[in-house]
Amino acid sequence: MKRRKIEIKLSKQQQQTRQIEKQPETAAVPFSGNITIDLDQIRKELGHNSDVGFREFYLGNTGIRAAIIFLYGLTDKELINKYILKSLMVNFSERHEHREVSLKEFITNQALSISDLTEVNNLHDTVSKILTGNTALLVDGIREIIILGTTKEKARNIEEPVSEALVRGPRIGFTETLSDNTAILRQQGCNHNLSIIQIQVGERSKKELVIAFINDIADPALVDEVIKRIKTINIDDLPESGYVEQLIEDNYLSPFPQVQNTERPDRVFSALMEGRIAILLDGSPFALIVPVTFSMLLQSPEDYYERWIPGSLIRLLRFLAAFLSLFAPSMYIAFISFHPGLIPTKLALSIISSREGVPFPALIEALIMEISIEILREAGLRLPKPIGPAMGIVGGLIIGEAAVQAGIISPIMVIVVSLTAISSFAIPQYSAGITLRILRFVAMFCAAMFGLYGIILFFLILCSHLVKLKSFGVPYVSPAVPYRISDWKDFILRMPLFMMKRRPKMLDTKDSIRKG
Amino acid sequence: MKVSHKDRITTPQAVIVLINYILAAGILTLPRTSVEKVKTPDVWLSVIIGGLIAIIAGIIMVKLSQQFPEKTIYQYSQVLVGKWLGGLLSLLIVGYFFTLAAYEVRTLAEVTGFFLLEGTPIWAIIMPFMWVGLYLVLDGINPIARLFEIIFPITVVIFLLVTFMGFEIFEIDNLRPVLGLGLFPVLKGIKTTVLAFLGPEIMLLLTAFMQKPHKATKVILVGIGIPMIFYIITVIMVIGALSIDGVVLRTWPTLDLIRSFEIQGLIFERFESMLLVIWIMQIFSTFTITYYAASLGLSQIFKMKMNPILYGLLFIIYVIALIPKNINDLFKFGDLIGNAALVLFGVLPLLLLVISKIKGGKT
Amino acid sequence: MKRRNFFRLLKCSLVLLLLLPLSGCWSSKEIEELGLVAGTALDLEKKTDLSEEIEGQEDRYPNRVMITITNQLITSQTTESGKKTGAPQQKSFKNVSETGDSILPILRKMILKIDKRAFAQHSKVIVIGEDLTRTLNLQQILDFFLREQEMRLSGLILIAKNNAKKTLESQETTVIPAFHLFQITKSQERTTKILPPLSLAKVMGKLHSGSSFLVQTVVSEKSEVKFAGAAVIKGKTKKLLGFLNEKELEGIVWLTGKGKGGVVKSFDKETGQPIIYEIKSMKSKIQPRVVNNNISFDVKIESEGSIAEHWVPSGQPFENEFLKKAEKSTEKEVERLVKNILVKTQQNYQVDIAGFGNRLRIEYPRVWEKVKKDWDHTFSKIPIKYNVNLTVKDYGTSGSN
Repeated sequence: MKRRKIEIKLSKQQQQTRQIEKQPETAAVPFSGNITIDLDQIRKELGHNSDVGFREFYLGNTGIRAAIIFLYGLTDKELINKYILKSLMVNFSERHEHREVSLKEFITNQALSISDLTEVNNLHDTVSKILTGNTALLVDGIREIIILGTTKEKARNIEEPVSEALVRGPRIGFTETLSDNTAILRQQGCNHNLSIIQIQVGERSKKELVIAFINDIADPALVDEVIKRIKTINIDDLPESGYVEQLIEDNYLSPFPQVQNTERPDRVFSALMEGRIAILLDGSPFALIVPVTFSMLLQSPEDYYERWIPGSLIRLLRFLAAFLSLFAPSMYIAFISFHPGLIPTKLALSIISSREGVPFPALIEALIMEISIEILREAGLRLPKPIGPAMGIVGGLIIGEAAVQAGIISPIMVIVVSLTAISSFAIPQYSAGITLRILRFVAMFCAAMFGLYGIILFFLILCSHLVKLKSFGVPYVSPAVPYRISDWKDFILRMPLFMMKRRPKMLDTKDSIRKG
Repeated sequence: MKVSHKDRITTPQAVIVLINYILAAGILTLPRTSVEKVKTPDVWLSVIIGGLIAIIAGIIMVKLSQQFPEKTIYQYSQVLVGKWLGGLLSLLIVGYFFTLAAYEVRTLAEVTGFFLLEGTPIWAIIMPFMWVGLYLVLDGINPIARLFEIIFPITVVIFLLVTFMGFEIFEIDNLRPVLGLGLFPVLKGIKTTVLAFLGPEIMLLLTAFMQKPHKATKVILVGIGIPMIFYIITVIMVIGALSIDGVVLRTWPTLDLIRSFEIQGLIFERFESMLLVIWIMQIFSTFTITYYAASLGLSQIFKMKMNPILYGLLFIIYVIALIPKNINDLFKFGDLIGNAALVLFGVLPLLLLVISKIKGGKT
Repeated sequence: MKRRNFFRLLKCSLVLLLLLPLSGCWSSKEIEELGLVAGTALDLEKKTDLSEEIEGQEDRYPNRVMITITNQLITSQTTESGKKTGAPQQKSFKNVSETGDSILPILRKMILKIDKRAFAQHSKVIVIGEDLTRTLNLQQILDFFLREQEMRLSGLILIAKNNAKKTLESQETTVIPAFHLFQITKSQERTTKILPPLSLAKVMGKLHSGSSFLVQTVVSEKSEVKFAGAAVIKGKTKKLLGFLNEKELEGIVWLTGKGKGGVVKSFDKETGQPIIYEIKSMKSKIQPRVVNNNISFDVKIESEGSIAEHWVPSGQPFENEFLKKAEKSTEKEVERLVKNILVKTQQNYQVDIAGFGNRLRIEYPRVWEKVKKDWDHTFSKIPIKYNVNLTVKDYGTSGSN
């Protein structure tokens, strides 16, 4: 941990020096005001791109030269034609004639009916604006370049989240467009205290990143910490919020996810209300939530939407599923190859008969089945949607059945493996599921070495790791330990809503009481 | 080397550390060792008296430690009785801690090697266990306390479940008569039962780490009271099932209690594995805390960093753990440690407390 | 910095060392390679034609008692019978016998005969032959079984009349005789002719305390195995003293109140027709009295039950009179059972097997300390009073017959 911090500090220094070096190259080139020169300058920078459009024209009958530069495809052509070109070319001189304002003021304040309008005066900014879909307007004699917001957003419709389906709950999911996402978030909770802070990340390709939190709930120290960590990100490009996750997490060696990702705005918002912080990245439909604790990985928003009894029971079921998915095959190995005396006699007899003729020891048998089911799952994931289920049937049923018939695998092993596979699907967080899948193999090896003793050792080392792990300063295993009885109302059980009057204590919120 | 704020532990954590430290190897053999001495079914009374004595000793140690806030015995003993004598005393305590750690590890190896892993060499059982311990201890007292908090509820639940399933073979007649032969046999068992409560000495260090050191007395009361309940339940259930005459013959009577019944129709028919699971966890907790206490001592006496000491001590503990030649040697080894503890933590803290009062009066 | 590198190296080497154990799974034993032992029978070997085999090493102790051990192994075919229906029915068990003079060497000899590793953790019963318990101390016989961690302490001990080996045999192919025996003990709830199960765990306390006790007896008659009475083990010698028949066993169960159910058949005085009393609950209180060093016992037996069957033509259960009559006759019968057993134990066998001594220990611990040494002898002369009190609670769904 310490070492990493030092590295980050170092890189920060490097980053600063690099920026200082960079500035004289592009940023400081001012525009002359002479359209020919300025246009040439921009052409030199962008002219080789076939998707950049240069359109030169005159302002009405005034004879003043002007030009717009835009990207085909990324800009809204109708907007440019109707509200920019038309208002600058048709009737321009008549309208302008009797005014006493300067040309620039007239254009910006009276002629153009466009909401998003900024002025820039250096090449670097102009180019980057153009490349994000804005239209640059050059007018002869005006030093500044007018940037018009004409971006046509390539967004898909808001759809139901694919990776986190619910029976009951909002059908809205985040999209790839940041502005849509923040809008959804605003809409979710009309709260004037919802702070949305924008930060630009990425060195070569700039991406907008948003940190959202509730002003009067979230711990300011936590907000500072998140901002600090995001500022240290030093990378070319961030294609997905997964990059952000990996760059800000506490322990890169841990198999556990220390940042939660979700597609569901309702989940994000309820996390914000608890005092957590959300991070959204432009271009990614997955919002990140920090800090995260282990128990959160086993929670689903539905726990809260359903009444508390089913909610609690389902949550208990998930804990059981997590346990099974982690330990079932290793227990099988331990009992079959180390402690056959500990299982009931009748079960022992039926296992013996089912394993009669199986050529492999339990570990190899379990490995064959576990690995093949992992491959199956991976294959099913990548296949086109209509083929996926068919794959599952072929792989799961036919191969399993055939393996048993051929006497390679015992039927009980098939039961154990399918049980673990199903259990790992019952875990609402995909990334947590992956963790358990990895650890399951470690547990299997431990069991194959030392039987039950190996499983206990594995459990101990797992717990040792978990108690050391922190997510943004919050112990990963809280609220389980250190004991905070008041936080247990929303841990293994989900108590009735009227009892959960307080926000999680572990987050050190500014306002600890949920107002009714 | 003052205790940093980060390393502070809460009062419940201190209680649980104490409980997990006390519950260890003893719980498997206590019914036998105490019945050997008492010879009547009144062993549970000896357990209660033993616990009370341990509480008194614990309170003395806490009072002593409270005189020196934020300092462990290793630091304040040098203040109290001078650099050399204090250093020597601290070294003795360090020696006690790592010998105890070695003893626990060896007991673990014996029991696991016998009941779970017949044929596995001792070193193969001990080494991974010690590595896991090392991994935990590397980050100081806080992760240790948190891990104990995870282990503790598991222990309670499984222990109660398993022992109460033994009701099937429980016979109240085996526990009667109460005080049939008077109080004298009960008194004979006290030394044995007091030794089962080895553990309050950790308060000599732990008080320094507590967020609220003034609650340390409470920690002693609860932290010894709960193991006392555990021990009473164990002793009563074991004697009730196996009878006095059956208990004295068994090497690990508590395990035999669990081995004596089977319940059909459940996933398990036999529950000794469950008991062993929690027992191994308890041994692990005792091992880590003594290991930590010993290395903390060395690092504070010699003003060195923890990590190199931890690695070095691991090796020493390993070697000591391999010294006893057979199981009788091991039991003798345990008695030796117990006797050392009686002197180190029964008599010395009282002396130190008196000295500190006298000194305190002067200044 | 150098130091840090050193520790990193150390950590890495520790991780590498972790891989070391991978090379061996010392204790692993795959379940299908085990031959499960379902039960064990121990017999006295009378023929000594094996002497040549053990010559040389053991001529220093020529008069060793020879033991034959029979292990019942569950064969794999058994377990597969359900699956492969076409397969010819084979016996589901295999009895393997060996002879020697101490337990473990005999068991090790068996290795030469069986292809799998014998695995005793699922063993349910140990049947000891009559002759063996008469000649050898039970403590010595069972020593190995109490020491070995593989043995279940919940395993039961039975004593076979005649030959123990035969009780582990069966003509039926699908039944495993050892499990069969184990299951019979479960019916203790519905009859007074079976003793509460005596497991290894319980027997070690009894052996060590030196008190006499009973062991369930099993007998094999004409290829049928059944429970028949109990064997009396004398505390001092730890050897078999004699047997109790089923009637006497009933008496013991009534005396101790340990029964959970069962029936008592008595005959109506006037008509000579049977009345069957079904026990619903049974309680007995043995009250020791010590007056001037004279020990005596009062036994109070109480029971509630119902009339399960009666053949008395005039019997009208709707009338209390008849119920009283039924109670009376049943009480008589129980008293007869109790008297019978007291005579047998006090005069014939001169041992205490009904737990009188235990009651004395609880009530008068100091008196007990004095008499416990020669308790069986003392017991045989102690006066015992008993009193039976039965209550008929109901008579089923039918009034008259």
